[in-house]
Amino acid sequence: MSVPNFPPPRDIDLTNPFWEATDQGELRLPACSVCGAFQWYPVPGFACHPEATRHWREVAHTGTVFTFSKVERAFLPFGSEPPYTLILVALDDVDNARLVTVLVGDDQDSVAIGSRVELSPTVFETHTLPTFRLSA
Amino acid sequence: MASVAIVGVGESEWGRSVDRPLDELILDACRLAIADAGLQGHDIDGFVPCTPHPAADELAASLGAKRSFTVKPGLEAGAGTVGAALLAEMMIEKGLAKNVLVYFGYKGSKPGGPYSYHAEDPVKAAFEMPFGWYGQPVYFAMWAQRYCHDYNVDPATFADIALSARAWAQLTPGAQKAKPLTRDGYFEAPMVATPMRTLDCCLISDGGAAYVISSVEQARDLAKAPVLVGGVGVGSTEMTMGSIFSQNRPDPLRFGALESSAMAYAKAGISAKDVDFAQIYDCFSISMVLQLEEMGFAERGAGAAFCSLDRIGPGGSFPINTNGGHLCYSYLPGMNHVVEAVRQVRGERGDAQVSRKSVCAIGGLGGNDHATLVLTEDR
Ligand SMILES: [Zn+2]
Repeated sequence: MSVPNFPPPRDIDLTNPFWEATDQGELRLPACSVCGAFQWYPVPGFACHPEATRHWREVAHTGTVFTFSKVERAFLPFGSEPPYTLILVALDDVDNARLVTVLVGDDQDSVAIGSRVELSPTVFETHTLPTFRLSA
Repeated sequence: MASVAIVGVGESEWGRSVDRPLDELILDACRLAIADAGLQGHDIDGFVPCTPHPAADELAASLGAKRSFTVKPGLEAGAGTVGAALLAEMMIEKGLAKNVLVYFGYKGSKPGGPYSYHAEDPVKAAFEMPFGWYGQPVYFAMWAQRYCHDYNVDPATFADIALSARAWAQLTPGAQKAKPLTRDGYFEAPMVATPMRTLDCCLISDGGAAYVISSVEQARDLAKAPVLVGGVGVGSTEMTMGSIFSQNRPDPLRFGALESSAMAYAKAGISAKDVDFAQIYDCFSISMVLQLEEMGFAERGAGAAFCSLDRIGPGGSFPINTNGGHLCYSYLPGMNHVVEAVRQVRGERGDAQVSRKSVCAIGGLGGNDHATLVLTEDR
């Protein structure tokens, strides 16, 4: 099993705060600066509060697997060596947002929908990928 | 009552890789569609391009059309090519055009393939690609996994969809994947992303396709029996194109097909029970299943089991994707389904002809967009 190493774009204001946070070991998602509602993925404006700005709120480092797939083909132009296991994580205490990520750890073949997972970052030279592992 | 009909259809040569410019392939398809209708280039006075190139003015000049009035769908992929019929209908009903040419072409063999389109979306490039969540098979595999979990479906059930597509393709000249396939053969096919195998995924194709829509009155004077546009519907969800494959919705396995089919059936004055056969956008086996449930052909969660070879395959009681679809015939999103539906309703399909051919429903998916088109015999 591997973890794709495909550096994210770092020059886009709409998305880069996510990667600045992961470099610090944090997990932050964009939210309305007035009411705190998460907006994932970010779009230019907030329907709840038109006057709001985008505030990157720290979120839980734990969650539940919503769905998963063991990817056995390479689709990225470079940086991936299948197989690897993708999971979609419903983060604890975050409504209306799921995190796309990669499952790490020797026990990953036992993943199932509903499995509990926790943050276990993978550090590359260019970026830190907020990968997750199965919780004990 | 239908006001317009599809009067001509055309497909260029196609295949895994065709070494000719895309514009040429599209022009071939347009000429064939116009000739199929018994019309000439100068009869075309409205255009619905479902592709950026060629622009309608250049195509019009190539065909000898005298004007190039154009309406473009904002819908994507299969939703665009199927939903284009709605724009053509509006153009004709409003008196803006008499004979509208809908055209599309695609080079799946281009560098980066069908995946590269998604790399252009900033949120997908930032929040999905770095994790290797990339390539349409990956998105749909995750949905298939969730579907099997929620409805207690054995992924082996999907085999029949591949077997049916292959059986239809064997009866269809030019189909890209027409070698015999056994059930064991399906399970021997490599896994792409669990639970989906290569044979659950659509082809890659180069080619062009087109259709012509005219008023019903005019259609009755043309070369072939008109195929009436009973109704067209469009739908979408509250998600964006970037987030549709991963994010939260009240019901994450829902497309806009519930909305689009209800609209199309209401316009046609039918219900799902009145549909004789269907062409449903099969970029993947799971996407066809999810749409056919929303289109009312099976209960939620029962769609995979509904798609048994003896029901949807040749000779079955509810034929689906009767040329082999995008899995085995060609992948010109949605267009192959429209062309096939027209040929079936006309009774032109020889060994693959369905016995009950009065009403066909076509489902076209494009990310967050969906279109349903109901075609009927002129009775
Ligand atoms: Zn707000």
